[in-house]
Amino acid sequence: MSIFIISSDAREIEENIAKKVAEAMGYKLLNRDILATVAANYQIDTDKLSEAMKTTPSLFKKLPSRQWRYYLACIEADVLEKLMADNIVCQGLAAHLYVTDVSHAMKVRVLSGNRQGIQTVAEKRGISLQRAEKWLASELLQRKKWSLTAYNYDETDLTRYDLVINLDQIDPAEAVKTITGAAEYRKFQVMTYSMKCLSDLALAAKVNGALLKSMADIRVQARDGSVVVLTRASSRQKRKKIETIKALAGGVEGVSYVEVHVKKNILKETN
Amino acid sequence: MTKPLEVLLLDDEPIVGRRLKPALDKIGCRVEVFQSPTEAAARIDEKEFDIVVTDIRMEEMDGIQVLEHVQKTWPRTKVIMITGYAKVDLAREAMGKGVFDFIAKPFKPADLRRIIFRAAEALGSPIDSSLLNDEPVAQ
Repeated sequence: MSIFIISSDAREIEENIAKKVAEAMGYKLLNRDILATVAANYQIDTDKLSEAMKTTPSLFKKLPSRQWRYYLACIEADVLEKLMADNIVCQGLAAHLYVTDVSHAMKVRVLSGNRQGIQTVAEKRGISLQRAEKWLASELLQRKKWSLTAYNYDETDLTRYDLVINLDQIDPAEAVKTITGAAEYRKFQVMTYSMKCLSDLALAAKVNGALLKSMADIRVQARDGSVVVLTRASSRQKRKKIETIKALAGGVEGVSYVEVHVKKNILKETN
Repeated sequence: MTKPLEVLLLDDEPIVGRRLKPALDKIGCRVEVFQSPTEAAARIDEKEFDIVVTDIRMEEMDGIQVLEHVQKTWPRTKVIMITGYAKVDLAREAMGKGVFDFIAKPFKPADLRRIIFRAAEALGSPIDSSLLNDEPVAQ
């Protein structure tokens, strides 16, 4: 077992459990502390990256969709690269939404529960229990909206997780023991197939980041260094877009072949 | 001289055996190739192999059944699964049942050699690592 991806409906609980699991296992903790490094690598303001992790695109907030997707792509690329190393607990970086089909990554959802969640939030934020309850409910809605917009994935859908723990029934210390105990499951051991899935995801994310810097409407898949990019363009722009994508994607380390599939952009075609 | 590693290679596509056998011969394995799972199972009954490399989707018996048969007959034998239909659930099922490693097709013979190398180490019969040179031949 080498990767735990821990998420919760309450940020404070998620941080706390992830930290304790990392300590108990002697694993490295990967959390939002890496945003400063990501920002430096891609020459982006750290605050903008933090903002992108919380909000959805909006003209009012001066966060256009393309820019927002680029910020998320930068974070995703960096996280996936770091997950290639063994023995990591990942939290707060939305990895549960984009680390897909990697059999040695265990996705854990910790439900704060009514009692435990409200109490923790009230204590950490210095607010009343009633206000904490309202805050938690609105936070849950906001995160559901964010996950659907960002990755078309409802993070409150519990069937997507490998292990779900309700803190109303299981004490936090027991939850940590349960999670660390799950590290023994053979099903979640690293294998050649799962490492390859992860490296393909990491390469696709790097290419996605390189492309989203200057264009929108991109989907990237990678396999063994071969990359397929799906995009849209008008008939007039098609050739130039393919050339640009091939040049940008081909410049990413680890890419040996690029194939571009272009669908007609009907809106631009009629204009 | 060290004893060669005894490997049984089972895949219903003949090309897989044809391509992989020479790649494993090169690192000093003694390879027997089978296309029929029942014939392979009969051979497993007769002989203890160090490593069994098996496809998953096959007629008559699937790779998981082959794994169970090997485990029942020769618990020391390492089983490696290869499949063109790899999915996370299948990979976890195989791992949970005790497979040594799981690899998705297509792969390079060198990828399988690396797994064989690790399996040999786990069996206490290590292979000379200088034999593990990559080859650009895709399977």
